[in-house]
Amino acid sequence: MDYNLFSGLVIFYLIGAASSIIFNKKDRLSSYAAFLNAAVGSVFGILFSISIISGESFNFEIQGTSFLNFGFFVDRLSAFFILVISIATLAVSIYSTGYVKEYFGKKNIGYLGFLYNIFILSMIMVVSANNAVMFLIVWEMMSLISYFLVIYEHEKPEVRKAGFIYIVMTHIGTGFILLSFLILAGASGSFSFESFSGAAIPPLLKDLVFLFALIGFGAKAGIVPLHIWLPYAHPAAPSNVSALMSGVMIKTAIYMLIRVFFDFLGSGVMWWGFLVLALGAISALAGIMYAVVESDIKRMLAFSSIENMGIILLGLGASMIFFAAGNPGLSAIAAVASLYHLLNHSVFKGLLFMGAGSIIFSTHTKNLEKLGGLIRKMPVSSVLFFTGVLSISALPPFSGFVSEWMTLQSLLLGFSLNDTFVMIAFSISAAVLALTGALAALCFLKTFGIGFLALPRSQQAEHAKEVNSPMLLGMGLFAVLSILFGVLPVFIIPFLDRIVQTFTGDGSFSYGYFGTITLSGGNSMSTPALLILILMLALLPLMILLLYNGKMRSPVYETWGCGQPVSTARNEYTGTAFSKPVQMWLGSFYKPGREITTTYSVSPFFRESIRFGSRTEQIFERYLYAPAVKHVLEGSRKVKLIQTGSIHAYLAYIFVTLVILFMFVILGGR
Amino acid sequence: MSELILGSRMMQLIIALILVSTFLILGSTRLYSCVRAFGIQSFLLACVAGIVAFSTGKFDIYIVALLTLVIKAALIPYIFIYIIREIKVKREVELYVSVPSSIMIGGVLVVISYYLIRSINIMSELSSLSLSASMSLVSIGLFIMISRKKAIMQMLGILIMENGLFLGAISLTYGMPLLVELGIFFDVLIGVLIMGILVFRINRTFESIDTDMLKTLIG
Repeated sequence: MDYNLFSGLVIFYLIGAASSIIFNKKDRLSSYAAFLNAAVGSVFGILFSISIISGESFNFEIQGTSFLNFGFFVDRLSAFFILVISIATLAVSIYSTGYVKEYFGKKNIGYLGFLYNIFILSMIMVVSANNAVMFLIVWEMMSLISYFLVIYEHEKPEVRKAGFIYIVMTHIGTGFILLSFLILAGASGSFSFESFSGAAIPPLLKDLVFLFALIGFGAKAGIVPLHIWLPYAHPAAPSNVSALMSGVMIKTAIYMLIRVFFDFLGSGVMWWGFLVLALGAISALAGIMYAVVESDIKRMLAFSSIENMGIILLGLGASMIFFAAGNPGLSAIAAVASLYHLLNHSVFKGLLFMGAGSIIFSTHTKNLEKLGGLIRKMPVSSVLFFTGVLSISALPPFSGFVSEWMTLQSLLLGFSLNDTFVMIAFSISAAVLALTGALAALCFLKTFGIGFLALPRSQQAEHAKEVNSPMLLGMGLFAVLSILFGVLPVFIIPFLDRIVQTFTGDGSFSYGYFGTITLSGGNSMSTPALLILILMLALLPLMILLLYNGKMRSPVYETWGCGQPVSTARNEYTGTAFSKPVQMWLGSFYKPGREITTTYSVSPFFRESIRFGSRTEQIFERYLYAPAVKHVLEGSRKVKLIQTGSIHAYLAYIFVTLVILFMFVILGGR
Repeated sequence: MSELILGSRMMQLIIALILVSTFLILGSTRLYSCVRAFGIQSFLLACVAGIVAFSTGKFDIYIVALLTLVIKAALIPYIFIYIIREIKVKREVELYVSVPSSIMIGGVLVVISYYLIRSINIMSELSSLSLSASMSLVSIGLFIMISRKKAIMQMLGILIMENGLFLGAISLTYGMPLLVELGIFFDVLIGVLIMGILVFRINRTFESIDTDMLKTLIG
């Protein structure tokens, strides 16, 4: 049964890839072939993963050579990631059949469909590989194909630049992953993951494996300071691809982090968890701080992905600390929080990226300052986007709230460890998480307020139209899921608990009446109750009106504007102005700069035009990457001296080497 | 048995002559005489193959000897002369290293090769001699590639190296399987043709076949 489902999903993705190339000449047919096959494949994926999580793990080996054999091992953890990938693929594929109409006649749809299918397949392979060699192959495949997807609109120079940054960062990461696997393989004597988990490794090497894996997978996960590729690559890729890249691809790194930390390295050392916790806190805060001041929607979403990866890492770090402290129960709670947020993030970030794609589809701009008034032009998309906004802002009863609440709770549970350092670290992390949540709410309030409300700020926004129904359906699926995940955690958490038990040991939740979930610390939450509370609150003003006024009448007048006509788009509040206070409070982080250029006609009293520009500094790029790149280039220039371009010189190098080797044999090699 | 002894005497003589022909290439400043010396070298190589065939009595090696004669001693020199005539270059070998010092370096290389083979110390007298000659040919061929400017001399250098390898292979193993030999001959022939085409293209692009010009291609 499992075998059939697994081969079904592989086959459908392969058919999708092949048929989209075959129908290359016909755009419409090619897009349906690619995306509908992917959707069917994802249904197989969902069934497969549910069957694994509720049943036995899946093991399948294709006999190869002693060095390289392709084998799959899917336990509950892998199955969970296949589930996340498949859910995202289902919604995004439906969305894509509508979205790629944008490219009909302009770009090669067959090529996009082919890469799309292979990309998803490679992600599934990544989370189900059972040995290091195969893992590295599929990992590299995933990276390269996502690179090709990022540079799909390669005629734009900024897209090519984004692709370059992405491929450099991802290969630095792969280098470190390779190092950590080589150490593991050296200690265990085999490349299979099974042997890694029992390997006897000296403590110092264990630390190295941990660090290399953290750097390597962190580069893919977008942990600060390895995050610089996300804000370039996500905006550059087509929106359906960014939904997948941000929604699920970066999560595969989390999968491997859990594998390496819990499975391969066994019970870890305390400071590993603290390092992960600290990186998570920094990522969450830095990511959302950049997102707040960003006015490119997709770039803002990319920064917000960094933030959410930070929150996932906060949960993971807390889980590692509890695990190392010998408290698997608390560890399980933190891990469930982390995985829950991962699931939620893949849903609402996918929704938001698809929403951004819809905006681009109908307005052809992703600049927030040029939007406005979209709620009247595209009402359904706006409502769906708003659902995503509420989820990511962690407002109850939407999905983001539950997982962030659980993360916060698991951080607060750290006080039960009775360790001063843990207490300090956890309380700082909890404070950072709270601040992050507030900034996220501000950020998305700005995005929705500036982008969808008020008056259109440009011609493009004025002429926006509602997007087609497949796109709405794809987004709608995610919107429904992000409400369900928020309202029904009582069904989700036991499910996640089963997964987490495979690597932490026992789970420790109790489930009470009316969807109440009680953690071992005694804190409890009932989201259905919250939902009812919020609905009541929403009805409250209505009831007050009914009680005291008797009739509901809202008079319509012009806004008083001091005698000036105010109802033009030029007088509207801008996104930059909205986030200006944050920029001023945290000036030392943003290092804002402004330039004012004025042109005169006759004398400085007669001004023709004044141009104001403001910018914020990317401190990591400026102070970390720019010097590093400079040194690498300098070093390369020195090495380049031996590259004279003369054939004779190259031959002479060979000749001299040969003669030296001869002499070595004659004199010393006896 | 006497045949083998006679064979080994003859072999020693021919191997010495092959070395001499190599020095002929090192010492001459005319392209034609270089090509001619290469032809002589290949002919001598064919003789070596013939002697090996005669003393072992293997039919395969006769074919190898014949192929050497046809391809290396006749066809390839002909291609060279055709190229030189067609691209109308000055028929002078332009050097980085003067003729006397080239010959000196060649001598040093022969000595090094000899000591190198001696230090391996597992061979019989004859194969040690032919192996050191083969090693000398390889290193002198490489040296010719380095010290000569014209692209034709680079082709010639690589063919001398190939001859050296052939000499080593045939005198050590008394003939590789025919299929392998055929493959090698085919390789050499195609290699020469491709290099010839390249020389034409270089000549058209730079109006010269001086490989120094290729420095401008650097990125």
